[in-house]
Amino acid sequence: MRYAPAILVGRIVRLLARWRKPGGGSAIPGLVVNTIAPGFLARTLNGFPGGLVIVTGSSGKSTTTKMLVAALRAHGLGVFTNESTANISQGLTSALLERASLSGRIGGDVAVLEMDEGHGALISGSLKPRVVALTNVMVDQIDRFHNSEMVAAMLGKIASRATGTVVVNADDQYLVDLALHLEGTVAVSRYGVSGDVLAANPRGLGYSVTADHRLSSADGMLLTSVDGRDATVLVDGVPRAMGLPARGTHYAVDALTALSTAQAVLGERFDPAVAVAAISAIPPVFGRGEVVTVRGRKVEFVLVQNPASFQLNVDSLAAGTDQILIAIGSDVRDPSYFWPVDTSGLGRVLFASGSKAQEIALQLAYDDVAIDRIEPDLGRALDDFLALPDPRIGLKTIIFSADSMRRTRAHLGLVSNKAGRD
Amino acid sequence: MRALTIVSVLPELLGSNGDAANARVLAQRARWAGFDADIAPVRTVADLPEQVDLVVIGSGSDTGLTAVRDILATMTEQLRGWCAAGIPILAVGTGWELLSWGIELGDGAIVEGLGIVTGRAVPLPERATDDLIVDSRLGRLVGFENHARGYVGAEASPLGRVRSGTGNGPVPGGTGVEGLVMGNLFGTHLHGPVLARNPALADHLLRTALARSGAEYVPGEQAATVDEIAKAARNDIAVRLGLTAE
Ligand SMILES: [Zn+2]
Repeated sequence: MRYAPAILVGRIVRLLARWRKPGGGSAIPGLVVNTIAPGFLARTLNGFPGGLVIVTGSSGKSTTTKMLVAALRAHGLGVFTNESTANISQGLTSALLERASLSGRIGGDVAVLEMDEGHGALISGSLKPRVVALTNVMVDQIDRFHNSEMVAAMLGKIASRATGTVVVNADDQYLVDLALHLEGTVAVSRYGVSGDVLAANPRGLGYSVTADHRLSSADGMLLTSVDGRDATVLVDGVPRAMGLPARGTHYAVDALTALSTAQAVLGERFDPAVAVAAISAIPPVFGRGEVVTVRGRKVEFVLVQNPASFQLNVDSLAAGTDQILIAIGSDVRDPSYFWPVDTSGLGRVLFASGSKAQEIALQLAYDDVAIDRIEPDLGRALDDFLALPDPRIGLKTIIFSADSMRRTRAHLGLVSNKAGRD
Repeated sequence: MRALTIVSVLPELLGSNGDAANARVLAQRARWAGFDADIAPVRTVADLPEQVDLVVIGSGSDTGLTAVRDILATMTEQLRGWCAAGIPILAVGTGWELLSWGIELGDGAIVEGLGIVTGRAVPLPERATDDLIVDSRLGRLVGFENHARGYVGAEASPLGRVRSGTGNGPVPGGTGVEGLVMGNLFGTHLHGPVLARNPALADHLLRTALARSGAEYVPGEQAATVDEIAKAARNDIAVRLGLTAE
């Protein structure tokens, strides 16, 4: 019962936080417990019989984690996971509090955690993960003041805590190098895309440095084709058709990472058919290429949160798409960093909106994209955009940053999955 | 007349925050004014074109500072020549710092600069990451700054006076200055697409460059439309910081 008083206090604080602000205050109880019982988090996470699994990297963590959890549960495992985007120790502790008995134990076989590379390095010193999965090294919005070497070093720190297997993306040169250093201390499991898949993405997949060589199917799981929301993966030489929650190669790579990690976690028990079926059954994710019907109109939502995903999304839009609304909000503190993105492929945008409407319109204008209207008021832009008759080519497409996505969802009264690609 | 050649110096190594976009902005504005324009990315001294009309140097990460300096140093003679000849140069952040006498790093180490412009970069008490508004003789300049070092030795010829933000560094009891102007070389902490946000500066560089070959620069019609967007973007920031709109 050594944590009972701390757990009780944490639960009371959580109730109070919820009572003050419904749905809010998720990190505060964790902060209280971490202060009065600092060993709680590590001890609990390290105590699962099947061990702890950490998913980290610059991008794709959330989707990969969700897919991995689905695959493991389909194999009959009880999984504890941080389903909110609570990446930090307080958030994790709060999440654990929801499930812990007063003795500090949690039911379940295995814990699967999504971890921000920066915060992960901070708290990983006390954690002993059995499996660590590394997605990629990119310089994203939050980490833009870090450089790639720093991100890779942080991931290396987390990977060095692994006791069983480190799962790495063999297309990311930083992770290839990192895996070479780990070889001999832990098992390394690799996954990658085929030459054809890479060739279909002429600007690459957004990694800081893409490896020159493609992984051979004898050395790990391969992604061999992506067509819209359908993908094919090669597992132990057998091709498997898989459905994706959203269009695009990066979601297929997330699914591949999840499959590869599931195999590392399950070992002999891994059944590729079961894992692929579980991942295919994940419902489409709002804001990630999801098509929904709003006010009688079919609309595709596209979330951009860093230059790489922005470029991939521009490049993967159906050619000639003639009704596009783009909204960039206050979450993009300095839109300068979007300027390396070549937006000319958009051709024509009907509305530029959000609190950074003028900034994004300026970039589009220099890329020779026609802009029909700049309307910083997102609600008004959405209403007028949706009121237009159906487009001639493609779907009505709304491209937004995370903040604009939340406002869009609120304005349109859409209740859906939490989103925000990491 | 022949096409305008805009040199983009080390666009990958010195292209943080979208700084390299400034070459694209100059080329577009030249085209809108009816001139042909080419961007020449220069990665080694061998890439340098015969003719140079405008030069853009951006900012890079501190990790590669010495390595980038070593590459830039192979172009010292040309950079000096362009300055002396009055070819307009825009140098942003570390790109500007590397042209100075040197860069003092926080740990006491010094990276020698190329010594082309007066002054040197020194550590700031804390990193400056914010909007930056400057009153210059080209009008109000607005943008974003993100740098760990200030600049001393530019007081005699700054780009302008800081209205909001840090610029070259805090001045006890007064307002600081931002940037450096030496002939037709402009150094600034305003990063990213500073020339798109501040077309007055872009047009000054273009006017100077074209005048050197006896041509007159008159901004194109398209520029007038696009500059209204830039003005609205600048005003969004100024009003948020309690200044009047233009
Ligand atoms: Zn981070």
